[in-house]
Amino acid sequence: MTQPPTPEPLPAWLTQHQDYEPQPDSDGFITKSILSVSSVLSRMRLDDGVDTSFSPSAPVKLVFGLVGILLVSLSRNYLFVLLMLAGVVVRAALLPQRALDRVAATASAAALLAFVVMLPAALLGQPRSALTIAGKALISTGIAMEVALTTPSADLTGALRAFRVPNLFIMTLDLALRSIVRLGEVALEVLTALRLRSVGRNRRKGSAMGGVGGVVLLKAAEASQQTHDAMRCRGFEGTYDDGRGWAPRHTDVAWLCLLAGLVAAFFYLQGLV
Amino acid sequence: MHIPENYLSPSTCAVTTIAMVPIWATAVKRVRETVPREKMPLLGVAAACCFLSMMFNIPLPGGTTGHAVCGTLIAILFGPWAAVIAVSIALAIQAVLFGDGGILALGANCLNMAFVLPMVGFAVYSALKKRLPGDKGELIAAGVGSYVGLNAAALCAALEFGIQPLLFTDAAGNALYCPYPLSVSVPAMMLGHLTVAGLAEVGFTVGILAFLRSTVPSFGLTEGAADNDKAVPVLALLCCLIAATPLGLLATGDAWGEWSLEDLSQMVGYEPSGMATGWEWSSFMPDYAVGSLPEWVGYVLSAIIGVGLLIIIFRLLAGLAKPRPTFD
Repeated sequence: MTQPPTPEPLPAWLTQHQDYEPQPDSDGFITKSILSVSSVLSRMRLDDGVDTSFSPSAPVKLVFGLVGILLVSLSRNYLFVLLMLAGVVVRAALLPQRALDRVAATASAAALLAFVVMLPAALLGQPRSALTIAGKALISTGIAMEVALTTPSADLTGALRAFRVPNLFIMTLDLALRSIVRLGEVALEVLTALRLRSVGRNRRKGSAMGGVGGVVLLKAAEASQQTHDAMRCRGFEGTYDDGRGWAPRHTDVAWLCLLAGLVAAFFYLQGLV
Repeated sequence: MHIPENYLSPSTCAVTTIAMVPIWATAVKRVRETVPREKMPLLGVAAACCFLSMMFNIPLPGGTTGHAVCGTLIAILFGPWAAVIAVSIALAIQAVLFGDGGILALGANCLNMAFVLPMVGFAVYSALKKRLPGDKGELIAAGVGSYVGLNAAALCAALEFGIQPLLFTDAAGNALYCPYPLSVSVPAMMLGHLTVAGLAEVGFTVGILAFLRSTVPSFGLTEGAADNDKAVPVLALLCCLIAATPLGLLATGDAWGEWSLEDLSQMVGYEPSGMATGWEWSSFMPDYAVGSLPEWVGYVLSAIIGVGLLIIIFRLLAGLAKPRPTFD
């Protein structure tokens, strides 16, 4: 039987009682950066667009959104603006809670900004024009947000192919969207490391913050090179498959009919002005 | 029953608004305690029913029109304090977007329709329900409660109209604001509400309550989670009400106390100076109408926008409410 090894006594310096009180230092900016990066990341991860069974295919949705924004901007008839407002409000009422929060926050902020910009007109006796511009901003932003939040991002970039957008542009957009989350995670890790290592007073904290940006940039360059190499290894020649952007659905017909109806209503109501 | 802008003096508007502040504060506190977060969107749907019921104008004896409010219905489903919030928000949307009821008079309108109506209606309902057991007993209690509640609210509005010429006159003795004294306003308002409008309120309240109890028993504060699959009948009910809103245009004429300044001047023979110089809000769609287009188009659009906004507002409020996890 072998005897268990006798434990070595603790080193003397470890047994000494210490009263270490780190000097207070302001590091609110690191916490703030961590929180803002985290909130952007959580939004990008969780709200990656959700289709419903009534949704059209991504290219049709994109066309619908763009034409809707264009018509609202061009419209001089108040009824058409209200018609679009009704559509945006009904769609928003049926969105999931998180998406509804974002649409409401963004659209109302845009409308408020437009109203503030138009405030001189309201004070000079034209309150209706200020309300109209604010209403148009609300509707346009609402449409854009609703399209973005109800379509997976990969489908949106794929839909661009259907509009003959150059391959290089789509590839850059696609890779950028994918790498934002990864690089955000890197930034979060570096910021957390900086926060953990900054015990007590650290005079070089400010310059270290600049280092965070540098590390992320280096990681970005490394990641893009690796992604490019990986894509080449899998046979990517720099062109996207033409069929990728267009996968028609049954609901497309109904949405295109609705779009035609909207365009007809626009021209009919414009004629009444 | 929507008191328009400038029919009440600014001081009356201020007093009623100040009176409403603690009521709104208590209502918010009580709703936080009693209405679970996941039931808040349903409160928005109930508020939408209230908004739509106020769009159905019904001809009343004497050539005026009236409408139901459904405040008692919301009080029965979600409690009287939730009804205060729901009807107040519906009234605010009507005033700001559609010019139905004044912005300055919002406090007075909320006092009548969002506080007195659901509180009185719910008190009568609760008292009767104890004596009338069963489903039919509940419907009878709801009918009587809604009838009494609406008439109590109409009486309050008539009193607010009627005290104006007693308190505010110019040197010549002409009224500055609403020119009709209590001896005119109370009988005129009560005649229509005790007969036709009261019955309309009973019809809306009992009809919608019976429909909800039979199709979606979990709608309201009753036990059971808010079930998304059960939302279809409620949405169908809302769509039917929206499609039927143009029926409210069949009743011609204005509601009592909601005439334009020109019409009022012709009726009383002079223009009340306080009303002529008063402030007026330019709403998005005054009287639910859009330019020269058919009235029903504006009416249906207003109904869709109003209902959508109410549902969005209550869903956003639900998002703001803190979750209350249970560890059972």
